Amino acid sequence: MRIVVCVKEVLDPDAVNNYALAGRLEIGEDGKSLTQTTIPRLMNGFDEQALEAALRLRDAGVECRIGAVSVGPDTATILKHAAALGADEIAALPMDDPTPDYHVAAALLAAYIRSSGDADLVLCGRQASDDDQGVVPALICEALGMPLVTNARAIELAPAADEPTLRITRVTPDGDEVVEVSCPAVVTVSNELGEPRYPTAAKKIAARRMKPEIITPEGLSLPAETLRPRVVAQRQFVPTVAGDCEFVPGESPAELAEALVARLRQDSLIQ
Amino acid sequence: MDAKPIVVCTWNESQGGLTVGAEEALTLGRGVAGATGAKLRLLVLGPLPEAAMETAGRFGADAVDWIEDAALEAFSPDAYVEALAGYCQQESPALVLFNQAADTRLVAPRLAGRVGAGVVMNGVDVSVGEGGGLQATASAYGGDTQMVYELSGAPSYVVALSANALLPEPAEGGPTEPECRVISSDLSGVQERVRVIEQARAEGPRLEDADIIVSGGRGLGGPENYKLIEQLAEALGGLAGASRPIVDEGWVDSSQQVGLTGKITRPALYLAAGISGASQHMAGCSAAKTIVAINSDPDAAIFRYARYGLVGDCLEILPELIRAARQ
Repeated sequence: MRIVVCVKEVLDPDAVNNYALAGRLEIGEDGKSLTQTTIPRLMNGFDEQALEAALRLRDAGVECRIGAVSVGPDTATILKHAAALGADEIAALPMDDPTPDYHVAAALLAAYIRSSGDADLVLCGRQASDDDQGVVPALICEALGMPLVTNARAIELAPAADEPTLRITRVTPDGDEVVEVSCPAVVTVSNELGEPRYPTAAKKIAARRMKPEIITPEGLSLPAETLRPRVVAQRQFVPTVAGDCEFVPGESPAELAEALVARLRQDSLIQ
Repeated sequence: MDAKPIVVCTWNESQGGLTVGAEEALTLGRGVAGATGAKLRLLVLGPLPEAAMETAGRFGADAVDWIEDAALEAFSPDAYVEALAGYCQQESPALVLFNQAADTRLVAPRLAGRVGAGVVMNGVDVSVGEGGGLQATASAYGGDTQMVYELSGAPSYVVALSANALLPEPAEGGPTEPECRVISSDLSGVQERVRVIEQARAEGPRLEDADIIVSGGRGLGGPENYKLIEQLAEALGGLAGASRPIVDEGWVDSSQQVGLTGKITRPALYLAAGISGASQHMAGCSAAKTIVAINSDPDAAIFRYARYGLVGDCLEILPELIRAARQ
């Protein structure tokens, strides 16, 4: 089977969070980009786990060819990382805009998947840790007419099925749910899948020599209509939090505790 | 010609009520409808909850559109998307608003893909921009930032609102009397492609429904101290939650995780002990009516969100709180 994993380069969300908590997050002159050059760029963590899900299928004995594809201004680094982790083929869909419309990104990814020999399984992270939108997998599934399963924590090939069928454990607010879906399908992967593997030194060196296949929109002969943005990022800002915290007085832990419980009872929040 | 309608989409949840967040979506939708001179409609998929007409009226809707079909009785993404796509083709709404629950991700963006609409998730606001078109504000980076998106170039838009986007406000000037329109649909050709083999079984009460939540974070120092969180939760008649770092470290099960990628809660009281207040975590609890923070660092971000703050070691304060709460 052919598995295509869609990966995205993002700013390290932990570094962004640290700057934000320190009140030092900077927005660039365009009003929407985060400009701190000290924030590392890396593969979206959920996407790395999507790739890990593909590799675990292969480890489980599923004969498969794994491709990694990415849309963005500079995708070579994460694609080589994907190759070092075990992707057999890597493809780049260059796009200059650092905050591309995800409808366009999804259209490009779907067209790439179709034109490169289709996929039995399209894997994506549940969302990208920059814009948190998580809509690209759903847009791909609709463009390709495939079913969508979200928030997988485990993916395996269902035993004794007539046609290739996936058995997926998905994370829901009510606990784990087990579903089956026939291939081809789009599946998103959640952090509950667990730690992705590290590439070995030998694989890293081999991956350095791999060059991503560069695919242009012209090469995909997509109608201009498909590439027209519909949701355009205008402005990014750090929301202000209305802080009205009352620090409860008290000299000792016991005094603090009693003062708090008294307030919560007064506010009828507890009995 | 009338402006294209603003539609709030909801479906029945197990308790026979509207999905949580429908009132918030109606509140926002009413504002957008007012600003664009459009009608506001509540669209219900599947069985019509008893509260639907009353709620729609109280929040100023002009109509309740009801798609009744056996295929919509239980949640089924393929049937829901097909029904909504048919509705959008027939009614050409300018905007379809959802409240964002886990199931919404299986419906809202797929609907957009199906009908060629634009879509924004994690919405906190929709308004009319300077140019007269719609714009949506959505949280990004786990809530560290917000992004304003211009919605132009597509015939219609789909926006899902975050659980904590806004507070519901009934219509000023009293309730309207919405008409109930039964919308026909043909879903006979739809067969759900994803087959449920084992249903999720919620074990015990859910954090999403809890009135009181006590959560612990890395400030607890080690997994052995998480029992303090559970004991205080029990003493207060609430449930125990956790921040993502201690879930990732394996101190507690991921079902306890409160945050952007965990449970989105809205309790009356949320008590956070030893939690720094990362945006990722706050996305799951900032809808709480009252937040209490215990942290040894007086500059911790959590205090910016808190109503009451206790500065000190949570390992010393928690046992005293358990004692005081039991008295």
